[in-house]
Amino acid sequence: MGKEIPAEKSLNLIRGRLCDPSFIFGPLSASSDSNYSKLKFIVSTSITEGCNNSILLLGPRGSGKAAVLDLVVGDLLEQFPDSVSVIRLNGLLHSDDNCAFKEIARQLCMEHHLLFSKMASFDENSHFIIAMLRECGLAHKTIIFVLDEFDMFAQGKQRLLYSLLDAMQSVTSQAVVIGISSRLDADQLLEKRVRSRFSHRKILFLPPSRDELDGLLEHLLSLPADSSFPSGYVSRFNDKIKNITSDRRFKDILKTFFNAHSTVNSFLKFIFCAVSLMNLESGLLSLENFKAALSRMQRQPKLEAVRDCSVLELYLLVCMRRLEVKEQNSYNFISVMKEYKAIHDSFQTSDYYAQNVCIRGFEHLRERQVICYAENRGQSQTGEYRPMKLLISASELHQGMRSHACCPAILLKLLDH
Amino acid sequence: MPKEESSKVTRRSTRSSASATVENPEPIESHPPTIDDLTFGDESITLDAVLSDFPGRRSQIFDFIRLMGPLDCPTLPIMIYGGASTGKTSVVLQVLRHLNRPFVYSSCRTCYNPRILFESILNQLLLHRKCSSNGYSSAKRCDKPSDFVNLVREALSNVIKTLESASGTSRLNKPDEKPMGKMVYLILDNVDLIKDWDKGSMILQFLFSLDSVLKMPQLGIVLISGLPPDVYYSNMGYTDPIPLLFPEYSEEDLRQIFLRNQANPKLYSAFLDAVLRSFCRVTRRVEELSTTFSSLFRKYCEPLDDLGISPNEDMKRRLYSHLKPFIAPCLNDIFRVSTHPHDGETRGERRQKVSYSSENREELKILDFHMSTSAKYLLIAAFLASRNPATLDASMFDSTGGMDNRKRKRKASEKSMEKKEIAEQEAVMKGPGSFPLERLMAIFQCIASVGDSSFGEENEGEEEEDATGYDRENNNLMSDILLQVSSLCDANFLIKSGSCPLEGSIRYRSMVSEDLALKVAKSLSFPLAKYLYRR
Repeated sequence: MGKEIPAEKSLNLIRGRLCDPSFIFGPLSASSDSNYSKLKFIVSTSITEGCNNSILLLGPRGSGKAAVLDLVVGDLLEQFPDSVSVIRLNGLLHSDDNCAFKEIARQLCMEHHLLFSKMASFDENSHFIIAMLRECGLAHKTIIFVLDEFDMFAQGKQRLLYSLLDAMQSVTSQAVVIGISSRLDADQLLEKRVRSRFSHRKILFLPPSRDELDGLLEHLLSLPADSSFPSGYVSRFNDKIKNITSDRRFKDILKTFFNAHSTVNSFLKFIFCAVSLMNLESGLLSLENFKAALSRMQRQPKLEAVRDCSVLELYLLVCMRRLEVKEQNSYNFISVMKEYKAIHDSFQTSDYYAQNVCIRGFEHLRERQVICYAENRGQSQTGEYRPMKLLISASELHQGMRSHACCPAILLKLLDH
Repeated sequence: MPKEESSKVTRRSTRSSASATVENPEPIESHPPTIDDLTFGDESITLDAVLSDFPGRRSQIFDFIRLMGPLDCPTLPIMIYGGASTGKTSVVLQVLRHLNRPFVYSSCRTCYNPRILFESILNQLLLHRKCSSNGYSSAKRCDKPSDFVNLVREALSNVIKTLESASGTSRLNKPDEKPMGKMVYLILDNVDLIKDWDKGSMILQFLFSLDSVLKMPQLGIVLISGLPPDVYYSNMGYTDPIPLLFPEYSEEDLRQIFLRNQANPKLYSAFLDAVLRSFCRVTRRVEELSTTFSSLFRKYCEPLDDLGISPNEDMKRRLYSHLKPFIAPCLNDIFRVSTHPHDGETRGERRQKVSYSSENREELKILDFHMSTSAKYLLIAAFLASRNPATLDASMFDSTGGMDNRKRKRKASEKSMEKKEIAEQEAVMKGPGSFPLERLMAIFQCIASVGDSSFGEENEGEEEEDATGYDRENNNLMSDILLQVSSLCDANFLIKSGSCPLEGSIRYRSMVSEDLALKVAKSLSFPLAKYLYRR
């Protein structure tokens, strides 16, 4: 509605690209020895030759396993329109066997336009599935089972895995089972009888190289030269991008980023943060956007928690730290109160509050997860007598207090002695 | 096509309710919910209004708006985190009101298990409102994540179709409203409470990966959490949402917040000059400061006749000196929430109830609540039983009554001082000791006989009749005393600790602080200090 300013359009376009996995992983999978081609080769040969197969895709979270699989499946559905059907299961949702069989039956019914009854029992569902597998095999139709979060299926009795892999052993069925997992030892989790039926094909998804990522960055951020954008804007935008990427400071930012994050998805999040900070008036990205995005990705949560504390809570933290330094490893609220009183007596601070105020300060600290109870057993005691422990280290406490807005100087002195 | 499941839950009705006839017919329900109800509903507000409503949150509001992006912009999941009462929920809702985009809001505090959470989200997406005509039931029954995913996909595609057709035609009745767009935002509040649920970690992981499971770019997910994102890390990994921090307010921000909606800003700002800095050292939370400030401000304005004047320097100084003696005790009472509206005055018949359990005022040494005499003695007996070691009972409660302090103070050697310190530390760590019921009874009978002489002076308002029954048989006493013990347990003055495996009797522990015991003893004129064992 109305005229969209070009900045908003380009923002929409880039953010849309970032949220669309096929756009990202398309160029990454273009080469001939990429995982995409390997996977496609395996699956397409099993379709054409009519044999069964099972593969595992392994790699850290966010490296594009599901995206590449979607690309392969999309291509195969185009290539063999009538002889492929896809069933998708997710370990988070369907790790329970009943759920899993119900879901398989439901998806099979939807594919083949049959009526699905939610009241069907587990046995009925499993008979139905085996019957469908046989029918599809006789009709030379391959069913591809995609099992996301494969390691969650391998918990418990692994009934689903066994029945699927067992059904594949018969001559009449044509099925491909593709498991996706972020645990690199997912195949070690399988039971013996399941593992013997599993063909140990694994495709590892490794983090991409710097060149690939640079190419991806350009691919993402360059606007297409079509007429929906005002003339000159596209060239200005693309030139600015080229300037930024060739800047040495930008390369430093990227290097700092890649020290901590190696997967494609975290890179996409970084670009997303930078792009969303784009200045909507000029419609161009700048180096500051990337710097701000980097600082957002590199948060220090405990430091933020200490900075949010009030002065009383800082006193309590310092008392706990001093008790630890005195090698009193288990302490509770009453002993911290004693230390607090001792500090007040020796230094005559102005911040001496009553016990009920301090216990509320303790509760605030506990809510922020800066301290916690040391053990869960002592439930019969009230909070005042249960042993506690600090969840932040001494250096984090130091740093937090130094960057605190109004930390009294005496606290820093107390912390050092 | 899947068969629809009946949405009516069959309820069992009791005989009486089934036979009762409905007196008056239910009023006709107002219009069923439409797609417009997915937006905030009230008039849209401008960005400046949002910014002025939330002083101190300027950068967070801008960050959030930028992360949401322009209309119909796909977005990765966002997590907003920060301490309590930092304005997370209200900022999110007001920004969505300003942007006028459809959203679905669900809080994990009111939806306290997965089924209620899923059904609440589905009800909103399916535009179903619970009313008497459908028996206050949800549109669809859903308690597993797998069903939730399927149902949400269906519901979302319907909603998006409606949104697309609505944005195509012009909106005749509200021509000046901005278009609603084609995206729906899902807002989940208080996500940190899910950690305490049954199977909470599975649900959390499901919610964090909801966008990759659903694969619908028209859904934007915003999670609001009281805890920072790193407490959610677990063995099962997930990709983080984009974090947005709402830090606690600084002093300057607090000043602006408190100055809003004040009848007399100049007077209030003079008041804030006096008190804000010292109270900020204790806590910076708005809800805690506002209750204290409201009562303090009343006290501050006491000497003024006209509350509308703006004070000059001289008046400010006088007001401050009037207020000064009240500031320090108020600091120590800062977390106390009074149920009596004017808490500065103690009027006759209505007694002030303290809502925080073991609190007491230090200036007033009287007990704030009423207890019967035998309950008071029982409390003191429990306190003594927890504090004194059992072996000293005989000498403590013998006929001479009380420990004699004639014990010689030998010159303490260094080793014994060290041992004393370590013993003290251990005593502090262990807390109050536990005792069996028989010991409690024995001590109770000893001290009750001591206090017998003061019994005659009790006032007429005594509830318990067997308070005078000490010279009657013990059977009467015992059963009522046992009742007293159980009511003390309910009030958390005594707690049941583990039972001794050999004897099988239950052991109790006293949870009364020394201050409270002293106050109770003082109200009975009981010499507590004589009976306390000090190391």
